[in-house]
Amino acid sequence: MDRETIKNKILTIFDEEFEIVNPGENEDLREIHGFDSIDAIELLREIEIMLDTELTRDEKKKAMDIRTFSQICDYVESLSADRG
Amino acid sequence: MKRRVVITAASAITPIGHGHDDITKSLTQGISGVKKIRKDDVLTDKVDAGVFGTVDYDIPFDFERRYRKTMGPVAFYACQVAKEVLAASGLSQSFVTSGRLGVAFGSIHGSPTVQRNIYKNFYARDGAGYSSIGAVDYLKSMVHTTAVNITRTFGITGRVISSGTACTTSTQSIGFGYEAVKFGLADAMLCGGADEYDTTTVAVFDNLLACSTDFNDRPHLTPRPFDVDRDGLVVGEGAAAVMLETLDSAKKRGAPILGEIIGFACNNNGGDMILPNKDGMTAVIRQGLECAEISHDAIDYISAHATATKMGDAIESQAIREIFGDRPMVTGLKSYMGHTMAACGAIETVMTLYMMADGFVAPTLNLEQVDDRCAGIGHVTELRETDIRIAQIQNFAFGGVNTALIIQRPE
Repeated sequence: MDRETIKNKILTIFDEEFEIVNPGENEDLREIHGFDSIDAIELLREIEIMLDTELTRDEKKKAMDIRTFSQICDYVESLSADRG
Repeated sequence: MKRRVVITAASAITPIGHGHDDITKSLTQGISGVKKIRKDDVLTDKVDAGVFGTVDYDIPFDFERRYRKTMGPVAFYACQVAKEVLAASGLSQSFVTSGRLGVAFGSIHGSPTVQRNIYKNFYARDGAGYSSIGAVDYLKSMVHTTAVNITRTFGITGRVISSGTACTTSTQSIGFGYEAVKFGLADAMLCGGADEYDTTTVAVFDNLLACSTDFNDRPHLTPRPFDVDRDGLVVGEGAAAVMLETLDSAKKRGAPILGEIIGFACNNNGGDMILPNKDGMTAVIRQGLECAEISHDAIDYISAHATATKMGDAIESQAIREIFGDRPMVTGLKSYMGHTMAACGAIETVMTLYMMADGFVAPTLNLEQVDDRCAGIGHVTELRETDIRIAQIQNFAFGGVNTALIIQRPE
């Protein structure tokens, strides 16, 4: 899955699931959009559905440090690459 | 420290309307909120009961997503009535967040709709279901979901009480809130209860042969508290809330006073988990009167628990007759809307406040011929224009929990 596809899918998830429309690439999602730890867990579930895979506990833990939209795209890109 | 405690705001979402005007219209015009049960994909085809006390009108839930995301339907109801009560009370935002306002609010078991979806995910996907449980599912379905969604949404930082004692849940909420304010543990308490549309609750009572089934094709004719043809309870949904504060603070800030709570009691039968118990009922009523420091003949009106089960209504009538005789007016308000479970005590309290304010007593709906076993008490069978000075709201729950709440019209 290429970067642009990932970006568009995450934008759709943000819009539909979190009512956050077009967040800035490097905005702090928690500070600016109130995206909290509950939302992060929900996003991981959406990513599992998107990639049709189950994330490991370590992979999920890594996501807890993510703060920006750009970092989310990096994270999904990495997961996608690992799974071929 | 003993302080006088008054109610300065009230609101309710019920099968017969939302707020004072809709509800009093239904109570004075004999309009029932019982409808045919909605079909679902789990239980409605497996239960005999075919009716439900239904909130079938639109309610403008306009909470921001950051608050909505942890609310199941039951918490939506709770937060909506809490919002209305906070607005009507006129309490300042600085007081609301000061730590001196607490919340006493409950439901019978969180959001059953969310719980049902959790179990559907668990068992429908051959072990792959676990990861599909949402991060917020527990927050929506935990037993104190109503109370803590209220505190989060409105920034309330005082004490939290979340009773979950089935049909006495919200009478306990009001009673425990009353005690917290009376004894100086809080300066104000937002109290109430809620429950959502839920066929699993219907199934529980249906399985115990406690649900009404004879009127499935004529929902408005059931439940029939105290009537010779009553055949069981009707499960319902709804929510109600009241704001309690000290008489002194209410007077000081010129707040409207809807009523004063002068007594509360709660006890347990110490025996059977299901069967009604006259000794437990009479004991809690006497304890309530003692708390209020009034004689039994000071009570003008009783909002009876009156679920319309054969045995429950008969035993409750015996208890009322033993203590009060036939002097106080008695209404079974569940006749209008079914048994709204955790919400019933608070809804019946709010309805009693409305009747106190407007000078009328609603009759028990569908009470056409009083069962001999329920006779000898002051049944109200027609609308009465009369004053209520002191009223008692009594509720009884599975597990043998009994409550009596006594409220007095403002001076």
